[in-house]
Amino acid sequence: MNPRTVSALVTNDLRQLARNPRLLVFAVALPLVMWPLMWYLTSLTTERRQERLESRTYLYAVAENPASADGATWLDRALARVGDDGRNGDDGRNGDADPEAGPAVLFERVAPPDDLPAALDDGRLHVHLAWEPVTEDGGAPRAVLTYRADLDASGTAEGYLRRALRSTRVEVREQRLAAAGFEADPADLLPVERIETASEEQTSGLLLGRILTAIIVLMMLTGGSIVATDALAGEKERGTLETLLTTAARRIEIVTAKNLSILSVALITSILNIANIVLWMQLDVIPAPEGLKLVIPVGTGLLLLFLYAPAAVLLSSALLLVSGRSKTYKEAQLLFAPVMLGALAIAAIPVLPGIALRSAIVVVPIANLGVAAREILTGTYDWPLLAAAWTVTAGAAALLARASVRTLSAEKLITASDTDAADLAGGPALFPRRVAGWFAVLWALLLVWQLNSGGGIDGRLLITINLSILGAAAWLMIARYRLPLRETLSLKPPPAAAWLGVLIAAPAGLVLANGVVRLASLAMPIPEEWLEAMADAFGADLPLWQMLFFFAVLPGIFEEIAFRGVLLHGLRARLNPVPLVLIAGIAFGFFHVDLFRIPPTSLLGVFLVIAVLRTGSIYPAMAWHALHNALALSGARIEQIGLTEEPTWWHYALALAAILLAFRLMSRPKVS
Amino acid sequence: MSTIQVEVQGLSKNFFDQARGEVNAVSEVDFVCRSGEIFGLLGANGAGKTTTLRMISTVLQPSDGTARVLGHDVVREPVEVRRNLGFYSASTALYPRLTARETLTLFARVNKYPAESTKDRVEEMIERFGLSEYAGARIEKLSTGMKQKVSIARTVVHDPPVLIFDEPTVGLDVLNALDLQKGIQELRDEGKTILFSTHIMSEAERLCDRIAIIDKGRIRACDGLEGLRAATSHHYLEDIFVHYVTGNDTPA
Repeated sequence: MNPRTVSALVTNDLRQLARNPRLLVFAVALPLVMWPLMWYLTSLTTERRQERLESRTYLYAVAENPASADGATWLDRALARVGDDGRNGDDGRNGDADPEAGPAVLFERVAPPDDLPAALDDGRLHVHLAWEPVTEDGGAPRAVLTYRADLDASGTAEGYLRRALRSTRVEVREQRLAAAGFEADPADLLPVERIETASEEQTSGLLLGRILTAIIVLMMLTGGSIVATDALAGEKERGTLETLLTTAARRIEIVTAKNLSILSVALITSILNIANIVLWMQLDVIPAPEGLKLVIPVGTGLLLLFLYAPAAVLLSSALLLVSGRSKTYKEAQLLFAPVMLGALAIAAIPVLPGIALRSAIVVVPIANLGVAAREILTGTYDWPLLAAAWTVTAGAAALLARASVRTLSAEKLITASDTDAADLAGGPALFPRRVAGWFAVLWALLLVWQLNSGGGIDGRLLITINLSILGAAAWLMIARYRLPLRETLSLKPPPAAAWLGVLIAAPAGLVLANGVVRLASLAMPIPEEWLEAMADAFGADLPLWQMLFFFAVLPGIFEEIAFRGVLLHGLRARLNPVPLVLIAGIAFGFFHVDLFRIPPTSLLGVFLVIAVLRTGSIYPAMAWHALHNALALSGARIEQIGLTEEPTWWHYALALAAILLAFRLMSRPKVS
Repeated sequence: MSTIQVEVQGLSKNFFDQARGEVNAVSEVDFVCRSGEIFGLLGANGAGKTTTLRMISTVLQPSDGTARVLGHDVVREPVEVRRNLGFYSASTALYPRLTARETLTLFARVNKYPAESTKDRVEEMIERFGLSEYAGARIEKLSTGMKQKVSIARTVVHDPPVLIFDEPTVGLDVLNALDLQKGIQELRDEGKTILFSTHIMSEAERLCDRIAIIDKGRIRACDGLEGLRAATSHHYLEDIFVHYVTGNDTPA
């Protein structure tokens, strides 16, 4: 990459932007004024509304009926304390009005109207009270309040009156308890006291950590989209794209330059916006959220900056991709809305309580950094997980950047032709291009499910995964793309020696998979509860044949059809052997959305892909998978298959040698 | 002694279209261009001229065949090809908010012209194309004729040995078109290799040293004007064109 070319292109983009005064006003200057103005106006109107509601006189009426005489004393006591609530403590029992609280709320009695709904509607009356007769001896009459919730004054009047009646009731109840001989103060019964141990930084960090990612994503996207729309869609529309593409600039240089332009404008506008809001908060024009400390230590700030870097690249690449895929400026602007909503939904995940980085969330780009940022700000993070989150998002950013480079090479950019050979042929020719999307959706479904099912696995869950999701998806893909069944699923007899290979490979693979678990646990210690949950799942109270059927046979069939059949078939057309084995294998691992199961299952996935590629048949992989799971089960408890015993390095060396031998046995005889 | 600068062999391009299916836009096109000549691609709209030139400029990938510019293959060494190429067409617009001087500087830098001489080269281009008076004005403020001059200066600012002009006179008035043709002839006289596509017979007649007649993606004939006249016994290029494209001679 030539820095001179990149800097020339970035300068050009920024110069174009700087010379577009209308765009600068609408996209940069106006938000700077609008954000704090909106904030200020919101707090101002809330204040005004509060004042207005407190200073007005509320009109109430009491229904005339035999019970109203009983209720009259209650009402008088309640009216005497109207408006005290909320300002005099949580319990609403204290009748002493706070002198600082502002003017007392005024209630004025009017005659009960003939037509109650009409009177509420036109404001002649705000709340209507009817007393229902006392039902038991010594009981109090029942108050029925009628009001209109959609009318400000009526809703507020009802609120005041209801709270006043309730606190009157509490007071009376206590008096009666005392009269009946209850000696202690009822308020002293089971008193609850709270002690909060979080430091001010931690409380503020949680508050900031929850919203920080969403704010940054929002600002990056709004700032970045100013340049992104123009970056490719605008160039296309102006006709400058072909001028650019016929220069000696490499596609990667163009994409890098565009990304840098988007990033720098996004960064500048974000900084301007944040500084702007902080300034107004410092000037007390707009209120800062309670408990929020805006001072972040330098070290934490730098760590956050480093953390968010791949997220920024990811977002700018996404914007660039949208711009490149759009034919016109208008289309690009239309497509930005779903990108914005999707990114914000992901960025809002840290708001959800109970989601820790040490979970499947670590493999969701952007969301993982959001959770990581929250943990950094509350001081509860661990480095390996932080590194994993960063790597995942950086990887996703690299993939998207690569996709945008490819978009620039796409001929659709230049020609009117909107399809290519595969599009036109459809069916099997199109499938290699669609397979990743299908499996991404499948994975997202599984992830959502995992996050909502509270982890853990049981027989039912496995059946549902295997049969309904994987089976149905595999069938759908085969049907939709008219894939040839025999070829797609590698339904061919393997060489006879392959079966021997399977017998050797399955136990050896299990040993190596456990080795990977141990290796991974050096970086991410496995929690006790997780081991217990796994042991419970595998040691479930089921007859042995059912256990084997659910945990060995079913995955052996359906997971193989989905992963070593359909997925492998789709990826094969586009990848060289080594990346094919790694990607298809690791994808399988990622589908075991449980964080701690990803490393060993990825390894198993890699082995099984190799088995299919070497034998040309899916059957040995099915047998291996089933045997692997059966062996893992046979220990009944996961600790007993290697985690408590301490295999030495030569166990692993032996297992590796066995696997290599097995692969050798699996090779198909060469056709001469 | 002129050398072969552009070499095209069996070049083909198929497009795929939902409505029309597979379309052979260019089929097995062969030709060579030498330094110091203007090589014309003459064909009707949709004959495959632009597609051929876009493949040579590496913007489109050939479905089959090869094209080389100064020995560099368009598929394997696209950056080297583009560095030695200036591409001008009606669809290569300029950035409206840059000035003429900024435009030339940008394209010299992007095309990897030596950094130390970029400034001098840009001033030289401004002088040569008579842009001095407008060099500081934004492109959006310039007249069509001035824009076109900046466009040509942009095409040659990095001093490429091969220049492609794809229907450059489309949308220009007579005087501007003649002006542009004069500029192209001057560049040829400086030893540049020029690929020129047009559907205007008089333009091809006046400008081109050799002409390839292209129709439905195939080259029907390729020779100098005299050679084409001798082969068809027609004097006017229009008649020669009709002869090759329809297979029939126009009634006298």
